[in-house]
Amino acid sequence: MITFENVTMRYAKGDTPALQSVDVEIGRGDFVFVVGASGSGKSTMMRLIILEKEATQGRVLVAGKDLSRLPNRKVPGLRRQVGTVFQDFRLLSGKTVHQNIAYVLQVLGARRHTIRQLVPETLELVGLQGKGKRLPHELSGGEQQRVAIARAMVNKPPILLADEPTGNLDPETSQEIVAILDRINRTGTTVVMATHDTTIVNRFRKRVVQLRDGVLVRDQAEGEYEAVEERLV
Amino acid sequence: MRAGFLFGEVGNGLRRNTSMFVAVVLVTMVSLFFLGSGLLAQRQVDTLKGYWYDKVQVSIFLCTPDSTDVASCAGGGVTEVQREGLTGDLDRLDGLVEEYWYESNEQAYERFREQFRNSPVLDSIPQDAIPESFRVQLADPTKYEVVASAFEGAPGVESVEDQREVVDRLFTFLNAVSLSAVGLAAAMVVCAVLLISTTIRLTAWSRRRETNIMRLVGASAFTIHTPFLVETVLATLLGAGLSIGLLWAMVQYGISGFLTDLLAGQTGMIGLIGPRDLWVITPILVGGAVLLAVVTSWLALRRHVRV
Repeated sequence: MITFENVTMRYAKGDTPALQSVDVEIGRGDFVFVVGASGSGKSTMMRLIILEKEATQGRVLVAGKDLSRLPNRKVPGLRRQVGTVFQDFRLLSGKTVHQNIAYVLQVLGARRHTIRQLVPETLELVGLQGKGKRLPHELSGGEQQRVAIARAMVNKPPILLADEPTGNLDPETSQEIVAILDRINRTGTTVVMATHDTTIVNRFRKRVVQLRDGVLVRDQAEGEYEAVEERLV
Repeated sequence: MRAGFLFGEVGNGLRRNTSMFVAVVLVTMVSLFFLGSGLLAQRQVDTLKGYWYDKVQVSIFLCTPDSTDVASCAGGGVTEVQREGLTGDLDRLDGLVEEYWYESNEQAYERFREQFRNSPVLDSIPQDAIPESFRVQLADPTKYEVVASAFEGAPGVESVEDQREVVDRLFTFLNAVSLSAVGLAAAMVVCAVLLISTTIRLTAWSRRRETNIMRLVGASAFTIHTPFLVETVLATLLGAGLSIGLLWAMVQYGISGFLTDLLAGQTGMIGLIGPRDLWVITPILVGGAVLLAVVTSWLALRRHVRV
């Protein structure tokens, strides 16, 4: 579903690379934790997948498409295949939960009855049924992140990227959020989650891809993550 | 993207940036007002040219008993023989002269009295001081020099006058007005372009969260750009509408109303532009407004709203 072939990424010429010769293959329906300290290249991987940035060298393939050869007009089509969730939720503060999620469908030109059907369905998926009329600031952080997940999933993309989705949440809420991602993964969606939360990674026992200074240092099924080892190096 | 959603987005944008919207409307209004004035002045020149060039004549003023200081009038007033000689000359210029007629001293005085009926100088001018004349309608108004040289200094002729010279001075003036108006319009269009791109930058900034989400979920460039474009086109169309209103008021009350009345007493019917001329240039103004909005927005969106 997502393939990195010998990918190197430099943000500016002469900079030390944010990613260096990374090879990763993520299959359909996988759940992958991308782990590493801040600045290790996790977010860069995410940005390359949604073509926010283009790789300096190597190939990134998403849903069968070579991104370096994707013409500009096909970029939106790619992004419809990939839902994204961020640490800071990025909800529209003036819109209700329902409107925030419906916004995606409106932007993509969905019909009104489709929206009426899909939004409550998606709210149920993240456990927020009945809270459609709330405004974001009336919700807890965990609930806001659930809205963000619902928004990312409402048009049913085959891939879900989550960049530090639990970074602003307490441990208990974090686990709830990852549990939701796990549930989404079980319905066939490929989930890639960048995190440096050791508890979460060790609790859920998923595949772990570890980066250190832009270099892939570990790719382990049902892996663990000890942030301590990074500090020792 | 559905129309309801689009107009919702446009409405949101307008609410957030009302002051900039108003600024774009006004700048567009002023620039199109100048452009329209320039075009109307040009049409006025064309209308008057057609009107006057049919009417202007070369006047050959004959000697009066008072005009002895002119060499060709040394013998005092024009004599019968001289007058007949001039008639013969005019007949010989058949190809150049469309027609001519003679205005006697009595007719000329009558016309003079009529023209200056309200002027105090009237009583101090004796009838003898008003020259009799030949009024010559040229087949080709530009061949004035040929006719003038034929009669200038001929015995019994005091002076030859081309009315076109007077009229041309008016045209020069109107052309200058037209050019300055168009020049001002050009300067205002530059203002409008800068203002529109600044507005789009500000609107893009105030809407960056929405735009970001649109990009992330895979909205097309069309979807992301259209609300901005619609807002700008609306603003410039509104500006165009207002400028057309102003121009209409100017033509209707300023020219058709005021000037026609003013001039009617002096010269009879006169060819002035009316509201119909405004309707002819309306498509240019509206088209210009839309073009301005679309081109400027497109350039600004490419710079400030990444997809």
